[in-house]
Amino acid sequence: MAVAEAFIPSAPRRGTARIGGARRIVGRASIAERVGFALLAVLVLAAIFAPLIAPYNPITPSGLPFTSPLHGGHLMGTDEVGFDIFSRVLYGLRTSLVGAVLVVTSGVIIGGLIGLVAGVAGGWVDTVLMRFTDLFLALPGPVLAIAFVAALGPSGFHTLLAVAIVWWPFYARIMRGEIRALAARPHLEAATLAGAGPFRRAFRHLLPGATSAIVVTASLDVGNLVLTLAGLSFLGLGAPAPAPELGAMAARGLQYLLQEWWVPVMPAIVVFLLTLASNLSGDGLNATMSDS
Amino acid sequence: MIKFVVKRLLSMVVILLMLTAIVFLLQKLSHINPAHAYLGANASQAAVNRETHILGYDRPFIAQYFHYVSGLLRGNLEVSLRTRHPVSTDIVAFLPATVELAVSGLFLAMVLGAVFGLISAARFRGAGAFRMLLMSFASAPVFLLSLLGILVLSGNLHWLPGTGDTSYTNAPTGPTGIIVIDGLVHGQFAVAWDGVWHLILPALVVALGPAVSIGRVLRGSLEASMLSDFARTARAKGLKERTVVLHHALRNSVSAALSMTGLQVGLMFAGVVVVETIFAWPGIGLYVDQSIPQADFPAIAGVTLVLGVGYVIINAIVDILQAVVDPRVALV
Repeated sequence: MAVAEAFIPSAPRRGTARIGGARRIVGRASIAERVGFALLAVLVLAAIFAPLIAPYNPITPSGLPFTSPLHGGHLMGTDEVGFDIFSRVLYGLRTSLVGAVLVVTSGVIIGGLIGLVAGVAGGWVDTVLMRFTDLFLALPGPVLAIAFVAALGPSGFHTLLAVAIVWWPFYARIMRGEIRALAARPHLEAATLAGAGPFRRAFRHLLPGATSAIVVTASLDVGNLVLTLAGLSFLGLGAPAPAPELGAMAARGLQYLLQEWWVPVMPAIVVFLLTLASNLSGDGLNATMSDS
Repeated sequence: MIKFVVKRLLSMVVILLMLTAIVFLLQKLSHINPAHAYLGANASQAAVNRETHILGYDRPFIAQYFHYVSGLLRGNLEVSLRTRHPVSTDIVAFLPATVELAVSGLFLAMVLGAVFGLISAARFRGAGAFRMLLMSFASAPVFLLSLLGILVLSGNLHWLPGTGDTSYTNAPTGPTGIIVIDGLVHGQFAVAWDGVWHLILPALVVALGPAVSIGRVLRGSLEASMLSDFARTARAKGLKERTVVLHHALRNSVSAALSMTGLQVGLMFAGVVVVETIFAWPGIGLYVDQSIPQADFPAIAGVTLVLGVGYVIINAIVDILQAVVDPRVALV
């Protein structure tokens, strides 16, 4: 049996071979996408090394309130309490990035598993799981997330949990679609004839072929999540003050907009940069992995 | 076609039941005793128990759910912990402004989406820069767009008003609650015009992100249609490129853009909530934003239900529209 299976090509490795070569991905990307990769790299490094880069403690006053940007050693100025906005923004960047990646990962794992089970099992299991998924897909996720957080009580963790709960159905759909398409291919028939059980078929012959579609979707999704999480935080559904969260900082600075514009605008710009970098990189990854 | 519509409407009922089930479960999860909330913080335990029984909160879980749904059908959304009014009364007061903002935002998103899609499908000098601009719109959080809009267009240039939906304190109220329409109904054109003026900036901010997504999908399917056999035939007949795009390719591409529009409405609603807080727009977004710090769950649940129902209905309409534009959809 093992001999027979050795001749069966496992799932076509569309994309997986190319994930390895970061240089090839960057090489095929357009200029805008390369800028996106570079910006994302800078932002990720800034988030990782925030404690080293931040000139001040983000939650202790470090100067006079409302110091304008580039004055008194405050790159982005200070807010109404005298917190250094640059330091706070660095930590906020960290929270945003970690949050978005965690939710995407959980979406991929939960949705991916449900889609995989539905696609491999077929029959009534498929029908039940996908009907359930469609019901979730038919509801407005971001709005439900507001109600979830409000019911659980606002906190950074509850926000992530709430968004994770509404974020998986999309991945279940994609995974199931990929699996059904792959299942119709000859290599699967061969694997079945060679005696491969459902687990072996799922993880060895189907899942590898579906990865690239899921990776591309997930990478395009990070930007959406940064925006959604920032929006929830803006509404006061994140960690309580004075935790440095970008959305909440923009919301609290709103009242100073016309006089001290930098207080709300700086954190909002960082959300924008992070989303732009994620979207451009996602596009770059998509372009290089889908054209073949 | 009729069969398709009936099927779609039936599935809508199931989805709405699911929505109520989720909100009901969240209410149970939120540890707010509605009877206690209804009577106020100083109510005696005996009074709370009596009220609990009257309101039916000591009945079995499933019975409570049916009670809840039948209450919803009669418009009972329970009492807000903050305003002490029935949530339904509050929502009726705040909803018109939201409908005004959401409908104009959706309309703008569709128009801009079509424009973005058609422009970016064409090849011209600066197309790359145009795409980059669209990408920036799509990546900017609504609160950044709002802040910059207020700062530049309203604060510096004084072109557009930055807060509220009217500058009149004695604007006519009723029959719709939507300032622009009420102004027209009462023949006060200055009020209506002022309402439109207030609407431009928030509606634009709400529409930009969804418009880019719609435009993207439209461009993608337009490019696919332009490569298809029927487009080649149309060209071979000697039709002008313009005619091929507008009469042949577009109709085949609109369906995908429409379903994207439906999906974007969910994100747009979340955007509306944020934008209403920033612009002090007197809608249910502002209402829910004020309810969040007070943990006023009945109010939040009410708004979630209203927005959820709106989303589900809009998506049903979109699906039916899709079948009208492209009859192949109804065959599935």
